Amino acid sequence: MKPKVLVADDEAPIANVVAMKLRNAGMDVTVALDGQEAYERALAAPPDFMITDLQMPGLNGLELCARLTAELPDRIPTILLTAKGFEIDKAALALLPICRVMAKPFSPRELLARVQEAMGMCVVP
Amino acid sequence: MIELRRAAAVILLFLGVGVGLHLLITPLRDTGGSSAVKAVTLACGLALAVLGLIGGYLVARIPKERLNGVANYLEAMTRRGAVGLMISESEADSLGRLGQAVNRYLTLVKDQIERSHITAQERQIQVKVMEAEKRHIESVIHAISDGVVVTGAFGDLLMANSAAEGILGFRFERAVRKPIEEVIADKTFLALVREMRETGLFTPHRSVEWVQGEGHEARTWRVILNTVLDGRKHDRISGVVAVLHDVTKEKEIARLKSDFVSNVSHELKAPLASIKAYIEMLLDGEVRDEAQSREFFQIIEAETDRLNRLIENILNLSRLESGLVPVNKTDLAVTEILREVCDVITPQAAQKNVRLEADLAPVFFRVHADRDMLYQAVLNVVSNAVKYTPEGGQVRIATFLADGSVVVEVADTGYGVPPEELQKIFEKFYRARASGQVAAGTGLGLALVKHVVEAIHGGRVAVESQVGKGSTFRLYLPAVR
Repeated sequence: MKPKVLVADDEAPIANVVAMKLRNAGMDVTVALDGQEAYERALAAPPDFMITDLQMPGLNGLELCARLTAELPDRIPTILLTAKGFEIDKAALALLPICRVMAKPFSPRELLARVQEAMGMCVVP
Repeated sequence: MIELRRAAAVILLFLGVGVGLHLLITPLRDTGGSSAVKAVTLACGLALAVLGLIGGYLVARIPKERLNGVANYLEAMTRRGAVGLMISESEADSLGRLGQAVNRYLTLVKDQIERSHITAQERQIQVKVMEAEKRHIESVIHAISDGVVVTGAFGDLLMANSAAEGILGFRFERAVRKPIEEVIADKTFLALVREMRETGLFTPHRSVEWVQGEGHEARTWRVILNTVLDGRKHDRISGVVAVLHDVTKEKEIARLKSDFVSNVSHELKAPLASIKAYIEMLLDGEVRDEAQSREFFQIIEAETDRLNRLIENILNLSRLESGLVPVNKTDLAVTEILREVCDVITPQAAQKNVRLEADLAPVFFRVHADRDMLYQAVLNVVSNAVKYTPEGGQVRIATFLADGSVVVEVADTGYGVPPEELQKIFEKFYRARASGQVAAGTGLGLALVKHVVEAIHGGRVAVESQVGKGSTFRLYLPAVR
């Protein structure tokens, strides 16, 4: 059974390249281009893992994560991508299932490794 | 001396009258001799007696006359209100000595009176100088834009300038000498002054930041507090002086700068993140085929262009503001520029399902303008309208003539801007609070529009907006007749 991953980023090229990297590694990826779309997709079909941008129109990455954590029975492990790493409220992060914050620009290779690590999957060198 | 004169007068009187009577009586008693001799002797005796009487009287009168003279002189001086006199001291009698003593005494009195006159005049001058200095200091204090409040030892209001009246909301005329607790409502400010009065001996100078009000109305003041020390050893606080300097703008600029750095870094990092990710994918051999590899290279190219545009925008505004860009004004038709802008924006609007309508006048209104700059300004306004209008909305562009100006009007059915943010949106780096939720931006677009229209073309920009209903931007440019 392929792990289901939700990728949310309002920058389409970023969302697409992340999706492609994960698909090539054998994952089932869904792409959302803003927070609201990601929220609806996650409610409709809760993913095993989520990668979300922080700054998105409508619902930002932290709000998305908080709402899903409040409304879904299972917490979704999440990696937060951001170009504003130094501004994130540490206290807010601690309450959410965010296992890692990665700064943009990022390496898709490293992102994949972190996702596999977080999901307890064997990392293929 | 007077006694001597009186004695002389009596002697003269007796001598004159005695000899006169003797001469008078002798011829009368003497029966012999010629009648002519008798008559002469009688006449001489009469004359001597009369002369003795007159001489004695005159000699006795002299001191009285002189005394009367002195009295008259003093009365005349009293009438004139004058001080200082010289009475005759020439006679070496007791009256002369009296004159000398009176003169010396009067000279002393005169000197003392003159000295006290000079002291009084000096005091009057000093008082006038001090009053002038007080008025001078008061007018300086009233002229400065910082608020100044002076309280006394018991917290009573001694002085406040008009800036302080405005800041703290009272009328000085009605509040003077009243306890400041009855005059000023803000508890934080009152606590600052009270604390200074209580601890000012140890810390006579303090500078505190005080935030007045809340939300958009909030103002930040730097309050500089000083105690006025009194007593022989400066061991008593006789008052507190508070100066309020408005640092709201400085704080806002600092926030805008920080926001700008944050926004710019985010905006620059987004295309950079794509470029890096796609290059790594190509290097890692993640592409299926030649077509996909070509697609990746195109994305990298587009993102590179986007990055360049962004940097250009930042530099353009910076160069425009510093006046380094040469302005090349010609007479041109606004309608042509609007058509070009429509052509460029139409695909972007179509992609978002926003209807773009251009109601362009058949007459070509002409303005004297720099073509490239005006194009950029109009493009920014129209592009913003599309960016901040949700799907299914509408953006309408129109141009018309009003009061000698060619007006470019861009009206949208977008999210709108709250009234308290309406004037700020033209400030450099300012982004309406809700705008970050809707679309990306650097907060530079409208700052460029304002600079191009107002500073370079002598026109003006105006905006009306209603949250949830939309915004209307108007650019007024002086028309060429």
